[in-house]
Amino acid sequence: MKVIQRVIRVVLLALFLVLSLGPLYWVIVTSLKGGQEIYTFPIRYWPSQVTFENYQYLFRISDFSTYFQNSLKVSLAASAGALLISLFSGYALSRIRRRKPKMVLLLVMYFTQIIPTYMLMSPLFISLAKIGMTDSLMAITVVYVSTMIAFSTIMAKSFFDRIPEALEEAALIDGCNRTQTIFKVIFPLSLPGLAAIFSFAFVNIWNELFLAVMLLSSNHNMTVPVALNSFISKAGVNWGVLSAGIVVALLPTMVVFAFAQKYIILGLTEGGVKE
Amino acid sequence: MSKRIIVMLIALTLLFSVGVSANTITLNVLEVMTSPERTALLWDLIAKYEELNPHININLISPPYEQSDQKATLMLNTNQALDVVEIRDYTVKQFVNNKKLTDLTPYFNEWAGADTLSPVAMASATIVDETPYLVPQAIFIKALYVRTDILAEHGITKMPETMEELVEISAAITDPAKNQFGFAWRGRGATMKFSDLFAAVYVKDLADAEYIYSEDEKFFLDPGFKEGMELYVKLYKEGTPPDGVNWGFNEQINGFVSGTTPFLIQDPDAIPLIDSLLGPDKYEVIPLPVGPHGFTVIDYGFTGMGIPSYSNHKEEAWDFIQWISSVEQNGYFNEHWGPLPVHSTTFELNEHFQGRHYEAYSYEMANPDVFLLKTYPLASEKWPGWGMIHETDMQSLLLNRMDLDTMLQKWDKYWTK
Amino acid sequence: MRQRSGRYFFLIMIPALVLLALFIYYPIIEGTLIGFQRYTLFDMSNTPFIGFDNFRAIFSDINFSFAQILLNTLVWVAVSLLFQFVLGFVLALLMQKPFRGRGIYSSLVFYPWALSGFAIGLVWAWIFNGQFGLANDVLLRLGLASSPIGFLSDPRYAMISVIIANIWYGIPFFAIMLLAALQSVPSQLMEAGKIDGAGPVRRLFSITIPYIKPTIVSTLLLRTMWIMNFPDIIYAMTGGGPANSTNILAMQMINKILKFYDYGQGSAFGIVIMVLLFTYAVVFLRLTSDKEETV
Repeated sequence: MKVIQRVIRVVLLALFLVLSLGPLYWVIVTSLKGGQEIYTFPIRYWPSQVTFENYQYLFRISDFSTYFQNSLKVSLAASAGALLISLFSGYALSRIRRRKPKMVLLLVMYFTQIIPTYMLMSPLFISLAKIGMTDSLMAITVVYVSTMIAFSTIMAKSFFDRIPEALEEAALIDGCNRTQTIFKVIFPLSLPGLAAIFSFAFVNIWNELFLAVMLLSSNHNMTVPVALNSFISKAGVNWGVLSAGIVVALLPTMVVFAFAQKYIILGLTEGGVKE
Repeated sequence: MSKRIIVMLIALTLLFSVGVSANTITLNVLEVMTSPERTALLWDLIAKYEELNPHININLISPPYEQSDQKATLMLNTNQALDVVEIRDYTVKQFVNNKKLTDLTPYFNEWAGADTLSPVAMASATIVDETPYLVPQAIFIKALYVRTDILAEHGITKMPETMEELVEISAAITDPAKNQFGFAWRGRGATMKFSDLFAAVYVKDLADAEYIYSEDEKFFLDPGFKEGMELYVKLYKEGTPPDGVNWGFNEQINGFVSGTTPFLIQDPDAIPLIDSLLGPDKYEVIPLPVGPHGFTVIDYGFTGMGIPSYSNHKEEAWDFIQWISSVEQNGYFNEHWGPLPVHSTTFELNEHFQGRHYEAYSYEMANPDVFLLKTYPLASEKWPGWGMIHETDMQSLLLNRMDLDTMLQKWDKYWTK
Repeated sequence: MRQRSGRYFFLIMIPALVLLALFIYYPIIEGTLIGFQRYTLFDMSNTPFIGFDNFRAIFSDINFSFAQILLNTLVWVAVSLLFQFVLGFVLALLMQKPFRGRGIYSSLVFYPWALSGFAIGLVWAWIFNGQFGLANDVLLRLGLASSPIGFLSDPRYAMISVIIANIWYGIPFFAIMLLAALQSVPSQLMEAGKIDGAGPVRRLFSITIPYIKPTIVSTLLLRTMWIMNFPDIIYAMTGGGPANSTNILAMQMINKILKFYDYGQGSAFGIVIMVLLFTYAVVFLRLTSDKEETV
């Protein structure tokens, strides 16, 4: 019985892996094909001639390394900012007792997720234009933090909810103030959750396209998604190069994820009070 | 701490640059038909210009193609620092309406290049209120691309001269089991520019109309229009991959390059692309087949450069525009990008445009009584939404969810004031 | 002590609230007002208030049936959500017990979430391509189809295709969140359950799920909103077609803005989305939080 269970488990895990990696494999293969080979029928699962011309093109024709650095700076800064702010707001939301204020604040957070981003586009641009903050990496970082706060707060709250207040009470009795309890008690216990929040924020910001197009102009301020999107022109999608771009753009997020995995999965905590 | 240092450095740099290059003027140029190759091309040209004019520094802004019109509109409407803006057939009326473009008449009057502009180019420049608001940079018109090698395999050597012949040949070689079809369908994006080559040209009165159709004059209920549409539908059912109903530019090129659809109607910027994917020897470009009345319609698309009405550097902006629009630079630009240059003299002077694949386009432009130069009512408020309505209705028609008469009635109603 | 800490909590919420007010709420109020104005790119200087005309227009649009769009939206959200959640939960359960190479495994199986919706749409559009697509190739080789299927050009298959892409995208989100939550279930509880004789399935439903309910609730709610509001996948795969069959509210909103240059009607769609989601959220939260005394 146990053996059957294990076999089923392995098979299912393998299935998920294949379904997950399949499309990636296809993208990688496409990125290694020369222009003439991409549109053949029947399709080839491995290029007859592996070529790196798409990758070369990516870094030659466009300023990809600049865009990469920009994206990295903005994503790291904004994710860290969102995490820090939501650490506090999530904690607050979790610990507030009075029902009405809590519901209102929760609603304020959830409400932002209701908003279709495209509706913000024009008003945001016009407001920022008025204070001359278009085409600024710093301004867009702040905007990104704002777009991530609600989600991060909600997630943080749900992780903090599972940490019993008894632990903070104990620390408070020991003489810590509230802020210290956050950093000494709550923070270490919820590292897996915080890692998850950081990685989600990072990925969302890294991949964000529409705001980046609107709020950034100069070439030296461009981010990766904008660059990738520019491989789509009136002349259609440049598949080989776009695939190469997708692969390259995927790397940082995969790294961040891999890093976050360790925390989540090493299971630093069982989140409970050991009786 | 480091923030203070940064602020200080910025202040110093500003002071320094203000002191040293008090005369450097920065021009902000926005392009909208962005593509990596074209942007690189523009940077090349800009570098050349900056060398000739050391006191000018040009900042090229290149938003991705799909959002570029949006970006242009937002920037213009909030008076963002812009000195040169790329304007397309879709956006020119809107920019003029919002009073964001400078009337270029005084500049045109002084410009020698204005005399050598081809009639199409001149028409493009003055399309709104018969006033020049832009200097055209490229012209897009359609021709028929043919995979002569694939046709030869099927024993076909005579090129189609009428739309009916095109449909016949396509149907004849179509064999779904072998994944062989005839025509590269356009199912998504500017679908009317393809369907009207069948439908509109079947209408005799089109020859005298001002536009292909407009609120003032439309032909949807004309029996000729219906006949043409029926032919177009026949082409879909008998000579096109069924998947075509979702095809965009990309899929059309794929189909052509892979040989699945040896007939393709496209603009000249497809030439460099097809050359690189297929090689220049496997295909020909021939003039568009005509309709039953001996003519067809060449709807000319264009892109050009204009000057925002609020720019502080209009003289410098104009200097750059007239330089890049000169016979030589414009020829170089379009040679590498693909579409047609704007000066008639370029065709005689630049060898590239005498190439085999451009002959069809030259021929079309040289015979305006057969290849009627007509476009769509870009200035009408019904125009922007028409694209999506046309596309969705065509899809419904081809998928048998709507019948032809209903559709034509609907279109007639849409274009009624 | 209680009162002082109450104030503390509200104080530390200030940074979040300020940023939200400036960069989210202020623009959205402007955006909402636009829904009641005649606001087209054609004439930006003339934007009078026209009451509910935009809404009338979109509800009675003969070219893009609102009823169809609404139905599409419902199907898109419900089906995507159901499968993402269930499959994500299954994956989390499978991964819960540590195994060798789990770290690497998780990086590989979770990466779809790291892609942008737009890129995913393009990749899957390519896979579902009617001529050169991987999907058709596999089906033909396995003998499951006799001729290539036009996944994205046939209204019958288009919605399924975009939903599949969306499910593929969303599984990692649920898997990661639920896995982290599962990690936090105290082993004492599980031991107690085992001692009581509860089998794994019983333990799952009686112990685990109730324990991680907060996470389930918030992930479901959030993901619903995101699925509603991010039509990137549809945008890249079909643009709402063919023949309006994959057009959802958010997609039509974008179309109204990008293709029809009509911000007024675009915002009207946005407002409809917000009203629907708001109602849903209130109802959902009320239903799921009444059972918790210490919310």
